[in-house]
Amino acid sequence: MAGAKKDSVIGKIIIYLILFVVAFTMLVPFAWMLSASVKLNKDVFTFPMQWIPSDPQWANYATIWQKIPLGTFTFNTFKLTIIVTLLQLFTSSFAAYAFAKLHFKGRDALFLGYIGTIAVPWQAYMVPQFMMMRSFHLNNTHLAIICLQAFSAFGVFLMRQFYEGIPDELCEAARIDGLSEYGIWWRIMLPLSKPAMSTLIIFTFVTTWNDFLGPLIYLTDIKLKTIQLGLRMFITQYSSDYNLIMAASVVSLIPVLIVFLSLQKYFVQGVATSGLKG
Amino acid sequence: MNQTAPAKPKKGLLSKQARETLIAYSFIAPNFIGFAVFTLIPVVYAFVLAFMQWDGVNEMKFVWFENFARLISDKNFIQAFWHTIAYVLCNVPLTIVCSLALALLLNSKIFGRNFFRTVSFFPYVASLVAVAAVWNFLFNPSMGPVNQILAALGVENLPKWAAGKDTAMLTVILFSVWKNMGYYMVIFLAGLQGVNPELYEAASLDGANKWQQFRNVTLPQISPTTFFVTIMVVISSFKVYNEVYMITQGGPGTSTLVLVYQIYNEAFVGTPEYGYASAISMVLFLMVLIVTLIQFRGEKKYS
Amino acid sequence: MKKLLCLTLALALALTLLAGCSSASSSTPAQSTPADSTPAQSAPAADDTPADEPVTMKWAVWDIDATAYYQPLLDAYQEVAPNVTIEMVDLGSTDYQTVLATQLSGGADDLDIITVKDIPGYANLVNLGMLEPLNDYSTTDTSLYGGTVEQITVDGKYYALPFRSDFWVVFYNKALFDAANVDYPTNDMTLDEYDELARQMTSGSGAEKVYGCHYHTWRSAVQLFGILDGKNTIVDGEYEFLKPYYERILAQQKDGICMDYATLKTSSTHYSGVFYNNQVAMMNMGSWFIATQIEKVKAGESLATEWGIVKYPHPDGVPAGTTLGTITTLAINSKSSNKQAAADFINFVCGEEGQKVVSSTGTIPAIKTSETMAAIANLDGFPQDENSKEALNVVQTYLEMPLHEKSADIETELNNAHDNIMTENVTLEQGLSDMTDGVQSVLNS
Repeated sequence: MAGAKKDSVIGKIIIYLILFVVAFTMLVPFAWMLSASVKLNKDVFTFPMQWIPSDPQWANYATIWQKIPLGTFTFNTFKLTIIVTLLQLFTSSFAAYAFAKLHFKGRDALFLGYIGTIAVPWQAYMVPQFMMMRSFHLNNTHLAIICLQAFSAFGVFLMRQFYEGIPDELCEAARIDGLSEYGIWWRIMLPLSKPAMSTLIIFTFVTTWNDFLGPLIYLTDIKLKTIQLGLRMFITQYSSDYNLIMAASVVSLIPVLIVFLSLQKYFVQGVATSGLKG
Repeated sequence: MNQTAPAKPKKGLLSKQARETLIAYSFIAPNFIGFAVFTLIPVVYAFVLAFMQWDGVNEMKFVWFENFARLISDKNFIQAFWHTIAYVLCNVPLTIVCSLALALLLNSKIFGRNFFRTVSFFPYVASLVAVAAVWNFLFNPSMGPVNQILAALGVENLPKWAAGKDTAMLTVILFSVWKNMGYYMVIFLAGLQGVNPELYEAASLDGANKWQQFRNVTLPQISPTTFFVTIMVVISSFKVYNEVYMITQGGPGTSTLVLVYQIYNEAFVGTPEYGYASAISMVLFLMVLIVTLIQFRGEKKYS
Repeated sequence: MKKLLCLTLALALALTLLAGCSSASSSTPAQSTPADSTPAQSAPAADDTPADEPVTMKWAVWDIDATAYYQPLLDAYQEVAPNVTIEMVDLGSTDYQTVLATQLSGGADDLDIITVKDIPGYANLVNLGMLEPLNDYSTTDTSLYGGTVEQITVDGKYYALPFRSDFWVVFYNKALFDAANVDYPTNDMTLDEYDELARQMTSGSGAEKVYGCHYHTWRSAVQLFGILDGKNTIVDGEYEFLKPYYERILAQQKDGICMDYATLKTSSTHYSGVFYNNQVAMMNMGSWFIATQIEKVKAGESLATEWGIVKYPHPDGVPAGTTLGTITTLAINSKSSNKQAAADFINFVCGEEGQKVVSSTGTIPAIKTSETMAAIANLDGFPQDENSKEALNVVQTYLEMPLHEKSADIETELNNAHDNIMTENVTLEQGLSDMTDGVQSVLNS
């Protein structure tokens, strides 16, 4: 018994050691961002690297708001991200229920079609898509980005996989109790899939928040641009203000981290199964 | 919407099966209509383009399989093809194993769990410029810490990493695994929440050790998640672009040129050749489709 | 069944789209011979003072906020043509070509005036028939542009006019030369003299190291030496002639006279940073860096406060003042419905009046008269020695990338081979023969 205990202590130490090393390498980019954000631009990429700037330029954090309309960009990004995330969450989980729990003809083929489109690189159909959107007069509107992002196959796929993990017996029992399919989705599936929904929210939020190519192609009007496009405005033909880019990136990271931290509490063991018992 | 679904079937009108199908479509419709209009149509369009010659401005020309015939003798395509395959073969297993291991670790009751979870997600959300800069700093051929450690260990002929013809791809792969590990860790973590803890209790009563518990309880229980992660990693590995762009820009020379990189070049560098770019996408699509179908079979068998 | 229906519907929609698009493009053949129709319109219109109807046009540009001359140009034009409103559309500098290609796809007329960033971009737009020939619109004598218009003329037609024209010079750090007690570089340096100077100026080690010269990771930083004698061009498809120039730079790299290419590339080091930080004594760079350097010295970011410029070093037997240049041009979208109004604006910007406005902002204009060049030399912060002023007088400018139908693809091949040679992944012989093979296959495809 004593030996086993010793083993587990050593095992714990090794685990923490690994975790610390992993955590360290993952925090380095963030440290680099912070450090670069308070440097002079010329010092950002110099060797040997100076992690703690001798003369921190805190003014960079003020400059970013003056040099570009970052306030407008932040508002636009929030608006797009929130709308896209809500639409994505609703439509994906709704569709995923049918793919996971209902039987109908052509289900697998349709589903495969969904996944298939993920496999086609956007670069290949970007131009036809743009021409189509332009013919709908959607270029230079936020609606274009919403339409492109809100109905992704990714969300349907993700939610379907989690619904697959929820036992069919639950649905059967509910049907016998006289619940409609919509009722099952609303009262059983949604409450049970909190970890999955959290995941989908986090991913959709991050993807839309950090999306660059979509807004780049569709939003040329400065009033409509997003933070990621704003970051690019610090890169000009003859110079790149990486210090300001990093300062703005640090600022734009904050909402993402808040979303992650507030949702990760739903990653609690046994959500689905505790539902089964009740 | 709730009113449209009567709890009891009305007499006559529709058979039970037809009604069920109708309900299923009503679930799918909100997403599918948006998806079909804004994604599926352009994708189908891209497939049609693969048989065309088109510069984006002037008239399209139908050229049958000319674009595909051209692929066979295109030196860049052949290189990009094999580079992509090599990337997929290394990146897929490494990413899955690392992210699953991380998720298992961070699912157990350890001190500072939330901290570690958040930190793992960092490289995925942090600015691309920052992650690339840090990686290139760590692996800098002349002054990076990795090579300094190797030199201290007495390694001669220090690798040139991103600047070396033979090590560039390896550098990109290591970078991808490190950067995307946290992303898939989150998905695994969500999947692990669905595992019934009672199953572990039952297993340990049967005298199963940790490894057996993992094999016989965890893995089967999270198989839908694993299926999802695997397909997503496979697809995103075939579609790798950002990671290459950030670390090597396809270089040195063409030693890390991958398919999507070439698609981008054909479509946007020089006179646009959307038809040819689409033909390369078709190849990519077919490869992904084959792998996905195999996995689908596997999933069916498993469940 | 429903699924089938959906799919057919989708397919049908896709096909309509396809049909719609090809019909849109089938209406375009007119653009292949647009020159025929234009003289008739342009002749009378040019006589009219354009003060009649209000016209609104869109102008594709990049970096609105970081570029000094857009707004002054628009303001100046407002006085000449009060009825014309020009809206700038900022497509960003990094992805300009990609965004422009998308915006113009399907032959769109949203943009009237197009700023063309470089020669490969120009070649593409010409190939696509997106640009209107300017021969009949231009009111400025094209010989004023120092031969650059001739270099972008295709089959007797030119499709753009330059409004800024930069050329390569050597920036040097006077303080470092003073400290090392070495004479400043001169306006007439052969490559050997330059090489020797660079070696003399290299000193120190670690963080204190000063490099004698600096080459940014662009292929042009090395290859351009090879075409100064005018015997070869970079689009010929034969690259044996580059060998001595590569040998020289590789030797400098090996001896630590310049920074190592692989390190520069992987660490994304920007050339301005090393110059500002007094890390390099001399740096080959385009004249666009003059305005930036002046500004950063004022802002206190550039520590290289004592600096100067001299003419580009040249091979033996080539006259001093021979250099390489890049031009930024303006063109008209051939689908635009305001061609004459657009041409009037271009004539203004690229004409003598507009060029004065350009040079007053510290940007090297395309028309280099004594007046416009004096405007540059008299900028507050421009080095005061005579040599630096004299360095602005170029004798002969070759385009960095001459016009070729396949400029962009050739560029890709050249870059790949350059990358391999400079990272020493292949031998120089191998690299140059790869370069030849790669470009040949582009030329023959």
